[in-house]
Formats: sequence, C-alpha cells, structure tokens
Amino acid sequence: MPSRVDGPQKVTGRAKYGADNSFPDMVYGYVVTSTIAHGEVVAMDVTAAKSAPGVVGVYTPFDSLEIHTPSTPFFGETWVPLQNRDVVYYGQPIGVVVAESFEQARDAAYTIEVSYTEHPAATSLRDNLDNAEDSHPARDGTPPVISFLADGVESIEDAIAASQVVVEREYSTATQNHVAMEPHSAVALWEDGVLTMYTGSQATNIQVMELAPAMGVEMTQVHAVNPYVGGAFGGKGRTSIPAFLAAAVSRALGRPVKVVLTREQVFTVTANRPETLQRMTIGAGTDGTITALRHESWSATPLDRSYVEQTSHTTSRDWYATQNLALAQRMVPLTIPPATFLRAPGEAPGSYALESAMDELAVALNMDPIELRLRNSSIGPMGSDLQWSAKYLDDCYHIGAARFGWEHRTPAKGREDGDWQVGMGTATAMFPAFRFPASVDVTLKADETAVVSTSGADPGTGLLTVLSLVGAESLDIPADRITPRLGDSAYPPGGLSGGSTATASAGSAVLIAASQVIDDLLSVATAPGGPFEGKEATYADGRVLADGRSMSFGEVLRALGREAISATGSSGPGEEMTKHSFSSFGAQFCEVRVHKLTREVRVSRMLGVFDAGRIINDKAARSQLMGGMIWGVAMALHEGLEMEPNGRFANADLASYLVPVNADIPQVDVHFVQHPDTLLNPVGAKGIGEIGTVGMAAAVANAVYNATGIRVRRLPIAIEDLLD
Amino acid sequence: MRPFELTAPTTVEEALAEPGAFLAGGTTLVDLMKLNVMTPQHVLDINALPLTGIDTSDGLRFGALERMADIAAHPGVYPVISRALLLSASQQLRNMASIGGNLLQRTRCTYFRDVSTPCNKREPGSGCPAINGINRMHAILGTSDSCVATHASDVAVALVALDAEIKLESATGTRTVKLADFYCEPGDTPHIENDLRTGELITEVIVPRLDWAQRSTYVKVRDRQSYEFALCSAAVALDIQDGQIVDARVAVGGVATVPWRLSQVEDALRGKPATLESFEEAAKLAVEGAKPLMHNSFKVSLLRRTVVRALVEGSR
Repeated sequence: MPSRVDGPQKVTGRAKYGADNSFPDMVYGYVVTSTIAHGEVVAMDVTAAKSAPGVVGVYTPFDSLEIHTPSTPFFGETWVPLQNRDVVYYGQPIGVVVAESFEQARDAAYTIEVSYTEHPAATSLRDNLDNAEDSHPARDGTPPVISFLADGVESIEDAIAASQVVVEREYSTATQNHVAMEPHSAVALWEDGVLTMYTGSQATNIQVMELAPAMGVEMTQVHAVNPYVGGAFGGKGRTSIPAFLAAAVSRALGRPVKVVLTREQVFTVTANRPETLQRMTIGAGTDGTITALRHESWSATPLDRSYVEQTSHTTSRDWYATQNLALAQRMVPLTIPPATFLRAPGEAPGSYALESAMDELAVALNMDPIELRLRNSSIGPMGSDLQWSAKYLDDCYHIGAARFGWEHRTPAKGREDGDWQVGMGTATAMFPAFRFPASVDVTLKADETAVVSTSGADPGTGLLTVLSLVGAESLDIPADRITPRLGDSAYPPGGLSGGSTATASAGSAVLIAASQVIDDLLSVATAPGGPFEGKEATYADGRVLADGRSMSFGEVLRALGREAISATGSSGPGEEMTKHSFSSFGAQFCEVRVHKLTREVRVSRMLGVFDAGRIINDKAARSQLMGGMIWGVAMALHEGLEMEPNGRFANADLASYLVPVNADIPQVDVHFVQHPDTLLNPVGAKGIGEIGTVGMAAAVANAVYNATGIRVRRLPIAIEDLLD
Repeated sequence: MRPFELTAPTTVEEALAEPGAFLAGGTTLVDLMKLNVMTPQHVLDINALPLTGIDTSDGLRFGALERMADIAAHPGVYPVISRALLLSASQQLRNMASIGGNLLQRTRCTYFRDVSTPCNKREPGSGCPAINGINRMHAILGTSDSCVATHASDVAVALVALDAEIKLESATGTRTVKLADFYCEPGDTPHIENDLRTGELITEVIVPRLDWAQRSTYVKVRDRQSYEFALCSAAVALDIQDGQIVDARVAVGGVATVPWRLSQVEDALRGKPATLESFEEAAKLAVEGAKPLMHNSFKVSLLRRTVVRALVEGSR
C-alpha cells in the first residue's frame, strides 16, 4: 500500500508549516490573556511594555486594531479579539505585544498590569444545572427535546415503568483540548493591498471567507496558504486568534508579523470540547429487547452559546431500534473558554454514556453485551423513513469477537494474571457519513504528468495521498505521474477537512473532474486539426486510442501545441440524502489490566473492526483508525481539563494535561469489512476520521468493569476511582 | 524571559567566583525562565566543569554533572537508583539532566509555575491557592499551612533511602551533607527548599556501600505509563536472610514535600518474616501524620498500597 506522498517532507523537517515561514523585517506578536473569568477590563498599564527593548507596538481594547466580526454560513459569527473590554473567560486574549523578537514580546507582555471590575464567574457544569436551557436544534434540525412513542404509549416514563428491566445511570465526561502538535499560529504579510496568510487551517477557502470581512477587504484580497497542518481535529476550522491578530497588526505596522500561541495559551485562546453530564435510562424485556430509551444530556457552553456538545441526538436516535425514545439536549452557559468541534463531536462522549449503559443493561440481563447490541440493531434513525444505505455491524462484531478471543472473556469477573486483574470490554461505534461541497481541478500536462488540486486541507489525515491515488485511478495512470496540490485558496474551493468527509467529498470531485478532462481531451484530439480528427476515440492507460493507433495524452497535447488541458469538477451532497441514511459502523474491543494493589489501568490490547465503505489507502486508513482509537483511550484514562472556581485551568500544559505516550499504547489491531457504498457517493468511501474514537472510551470502561467489578461513570477514569 | 548574562566557566574555582544561577542540563532552569518563574540576571553554564565520573569501587560516587541516562545505564549502580532514574522524565530529558540538577529541581505544583497566581514558594507571603484549590497531585506528608507542594525528584527518594550524601563546594570551603538533612520541609518558609547556601555548588553525590541494596527496587505509580510525575512512589531495599528481614530501607515520593524516609516502617520490618502480612502490617505506619487535602485523600490508601507493592516486588 502506498505511503503518504508528503511523508518524506514531514519526517525530514522540510515540510513548511505556517509558523515556519519567515520574512525580512518580520516582527513577533505575543498574546496577553485575562486573569479573571468574568468582568471588564478597567485599565491596562502598558507603559513599561511600550518602552521595553525591541517593542514596536502594544495593542489592547484601549488602543485597538481594526478587526470586524466575520460571519460565514458554516460557522456563523466568529469572535475577534480586542474589540471591547468585556471578559467572559479566564485566559481570554485582551492584548498583543509586538516586538523584534518573540522573547522581547513575551518579556514585555509580563510587565503589563491589568485592572478589572469582576462579575461572578460560573464555571462548574454540575453546580449550574439550574441555569440549563434547551439547546439549539441538532445538525439536521431536530428540536433539542423530542420523543418518539409507540401507539398508545402516553409518555417515556410510562414506557420505562412498563419495562421488565431498567438501567438508570448518570455519566460525565471532561473538557478536552485538541492539543494538536502544531500550536495555533500565523504569519501575515500585506503586499499591494493583498493579505497573504500562512496558518494551519481545515479549510483555506473558509478562512478567506472569514479574514476578508474581518479586515474589511474583498475576498480576492486575501490569499491563504496552508499546505501542511500539524493536526486540527476540529480545532482549526474557524480562523484562529493569531491569524486575526497577525493580519491586523501587519496592516497597522506595514511589516510581516508572526504570532504563535504558547502551549499554555492554546488551552484558552482556541476552543475546547465542553464537559458533559448525561443521564441514561434504558428499559428492556428479559429477552434483551429494548422497550424504552431516554438520553438526557447537559453540555457546558460559553456565554455566547456558540457551541454545544450534542451527545443525545448524535447517538441514541440512530444506534438502537426501540419503540420508545426520548432525547433531551440541554446547555448550561458558563464563563468558560470557547467550545468547538473536537474529533467525533457529540458521538465520542455520547457513545461513552450510551455504550456504558448498554453494558450495564447486559449485566442486569445476564446477557452477552454483543448479543444485546445485535438484538437491538437499528435499520435507520428513529423517526426517519430513510434506512441505512448499508450496515455490516453484525459482521464487525462476529469478525471482531473471533479475532479478539471474546469467547475467553469471563462475564461475571475477569481473570487474574499475577498481580493484575484482566478484563475485556466492547462497544459499538457509529459516525454519520456525508459530504461537503468540494471542487477539484485536474490538469493533464504535455510532459505526461497530471496535477490534481483543491484548496482543501490535509491536517495529517492523508488527503494529499488520496488526491494522488484517486487521481491516478480515474486518469488510469500511475500515481507517480500525479502531482497532488492542496491547502492554497488559489485552488478551487475544496470544502472542509472535518466531519470525516474529505475523502468522500474531494475524492468524488476528482472523479468528476477527471472524467471531464478526459472528455475534453478526446474532443480536442478528434476535432479538426487534432491527431485523431474525425475518429471515434477512446481513453485508456493514459492514452487516446482510435483505429488501432494510440498516443499518450502528452503526445496529443504536444501535437496540438498545448501545454495542458484542465477541467474542474464539483461534488456535494445530493439526491442520495433523500433516499437513504448513511453511517459508518464499527465494533470496538479492548482488554485492560488493573494492578491489584496500586490500581493503575493499563490497556493491553485493542481491536476495532470497521464498516466504512471503500478504503482508498489501507495504510493511511489504518493509521487514522488507530489514531482515533488511541484518542478513545486518552478520553477514557488520561485527558481532562480541570477548572478552578475562578475559571483558571489548573492543568493547562502538556506535563499535566495528559495524553497517552507510546508506553500506554500496546497492540492496536484494525480490521475493515470492505463494502463500497456507492449509494453515498461514486467513490464508495465513507468517513474514517472520527469513528475510531467513537465507542472506545466505553469499551475501556466496560473492560475495567469486567476486570474489577467497579463501574466508573466519570471520565477520565483515575486510580482513585478504583481504590477502596 | 528577561535578558540575562551568560558565562561559561571551565573550572570549579571560576564558577564559584561569581554569583549567578548554575545551568547544567537546563531542564528545570530554562523551563522556569521561560515561564518567568525564575529570572536570574546571570547564568553560569557549568557543563564544561570537570564534575564527571561514576565510581562504583566502594559504594557509589557520581560527579554532579553526570547525566541521569548515564548513571541509569551504569552496571554497578544499585537497582533502586537506576530504576528511579529510568522511570523519570523521558529519554531525551534524561540525556540532558544532570544528577546534581535533578536534586535541585523545583516542584511541579502548577500554581508555583503560573506567575499569574499567588504562591508562597515563589513570592513569600502571597498565599497558597493549592491548599484549597486543585490539589490532587499535592502532598499529604510534611505539609504546612503555607505550602503543600511535592518534591518532584524520583532519584532523590532512592538516594535518601540509601543514606546518600552530597558534596557542596563554595569559594569559602567544602562540606558534605546527608541528602536527607539537606531538604527542608516548607514550614512557614516554603521558599527555602534546602540547605544550599549562597554560592554553593553540588559537586558530587556519594552513596555509602550497602551490598544488600542489590536487592532493591523503585515503584512509581502515575496516571500514564511514562513521562509523568509520581502520584506516589516507593524506594525499597531489603536484606532478607532465610526468609527473615534483617534490614530494610524505605522512602517514598509524590506524597511529601521532601523525599520522605519511612524509618518507622523500616523498624517494623526488621526481624519479621518476609511475607505479605509483614509488609502490610509495616506499611500501615507509612501514613502516620498524613494530612489529606480535598482532592488527594486517596493518596493515604495509595501510599500504603505502593509501599506494600514495592516491598513485595523488592523481596522477589
């Protein structure tokens, strides 16, 4: 299987990320942040900072920069810094110091004295449940509080009361940050009224749509360059604070500007996955048939309510067949940093609650948890007439159980191995499959190569390689003759690398563009003056054929005296959405070891078996899924921002906000059941970016229960949860 | 990072002649300078000083500039020391960090490291937000009303268990101090962390010969398997003859404001059979005087369990 085409650049350090760009006369910005969670900035004493060595500018709400609030169809309004004196969370950007070096800017920033008037902070989700509001409608417009009841059933409570076995439990998940290796950063440069922006982003064209109005210029006056992104995971969808500041400062000073967040700042100046609280109630018959399911969710949200972690609607509506279902998604506004999409937004914490509750139900029923899940498998989302286009979840479980040795699991209590208790757990994974609009340009060149380009981003997911592979396949030439290009707003709008959609979206557009460029090539080849004038020509193996004669596309172009021929193809969600529901599916398996005395939980094995349509690049896909599963382990055992009552994060650095290290991650096995889903798109690919994370935290927690008999209903699971 | 002057003396005499902050591996100092926690005006890079060498001929002697990685890999080093080193930090940090610097590393208390919060250790009298704050990682032993920060070193715990000494040199003379006596509990002066006098430099670490310390181990309990500070750790050496415990050394980390020797546990072990029952009985004494905080009360149980585990593994 092909390796990533950009692998050598990345591992040798030649890949140029946003902040790797430097220009003559460039200055450096250091962001100043608030040290209260709620109130107003009354004054900022910047006298010392302004006279500090190397300082060329200090900008605050009192001496601000021109930045307007942009709005896009996808994200709505995006907050921009320094436009007023309000503070709505601890660590909010309230200033930027600009100097000849990063160190000088930072040093000067430490001298700034800020005075505030403080308002009460509200930072705890649990303590503020009384302030909960109904959330926004779900992605598909479903209201936040909704129920589906069988004929004659008055209420979900009645359905629960009528169930033979009921499990009712509360689960909570922690605030998480994306902690991408590349911190948010930007280098901005204005030349002749045109802004060039070098910064990591999930969509260069959306960035242009935000930066242009923010700077009060036309979209043609912004050029976003983004060939490499050091991880994004939802955290680089919106334009970052460093990008807004760099653009505005650069224009104010007439010099190139670099702004890079420190790791500590990334936790508050960007955005996080908010914490959640979920109450699950599942009623079933003694045969395991689910008769009622209620999923009540509370998500923390910042005061502007700009993002809610939708845990109930993203899971419980889709996963299981039941006659009676009630969902309630609520949000609790708090003085916390911004919140946003983070890998499997909604599904990751939602699946922890749902799949833990399913495991508890299996225990209550004394039934194998796989059997319980397969017995209640859904044929489509509740309340929708559109069935899943394809669903091979049963295969995932059967293959997974065999590969993992599920039959060796002892249901009541795991086994012991020396000083360790060993247990196994499983959980379902689902993630919706869809497409965003994307356009791709395919160019055939006289030198026998082809260029496939789109403005979309490759935040480490392998999209560049996908462009190369799908391009090669659709042009019927070897991949080494394809030059894939992306991450530049000068290319056709490539959509968003988010929602596990990039391969399906851009890949489909490649097929369309390639087919168009081949048609165009045949028509110029057979047109008057062409080498196959008047013939019926066909295309294969990169060659035009007619009458037993053939020429490569390069030969055709050279015969015509042309350098190249291009076509643009566009794809997006279409009629298919009116015919079926679409999802990827998977079965997660995990084995953990818990030390009998000191109670550390160590994952010893994991396996994910996925039904994600056609896999374009097995090697990159496997890595993606492994990465996703590791995120699930991190969510289960490591990650969690801890907020103090005053809104300060107590562990906002990579020494105390834990993510797994190599030693935490043993054997990770990934298997695909490959069923191309051409009902969804011509490529047959579904998403693989996020489903790896879904369900894994529950699989870990379920394994911990199997090993120890202790059910932990709070993430991350810590040693103290397992001590007596 | 404030501007500072950097000099690089090549002899101990030169290094001791001028005041300043000594830079060895830099893994603590540079980190804290970036955070504005430490703001030395003069930094002395001492890496060129001849303070190297690992001598295992009679006990152990390490030059203060020996790197953690090199000591850990040296065949004559007692297992408890090399394990404590190998379970510290990451390979990259161990390649840089010196043994002398390790003993002087500052606490990982996140309030100490964040200059926007008060901290009695950083700014005497400013207050301690950890006592009523997020204190899961903090100490339960040796704490005071001023400070509950833990000492972060692993190898110091092993060295205290083995009665190690350090040699301190200054322009006015040389002295040798037991490491256990070198560290100061916070009391009402948490900014004074040890007995290092102005202008003094650790030049050597000395571990007295203890042949039975070949049977020794270090257990470190933490939230991830590597590259993480201890929630609780235990250094143990056991002299077991014919199934009886003749002598024992026990010290613990991650739970105390200084590397914490448990002589009461050692006393309780002496003369007992080397059995799980003896270990459990003795380990009960480990938590004497523990003062748990809001988020770290689990450390009382965890400390007892960690000591038992270390004794069990050390006796194998």
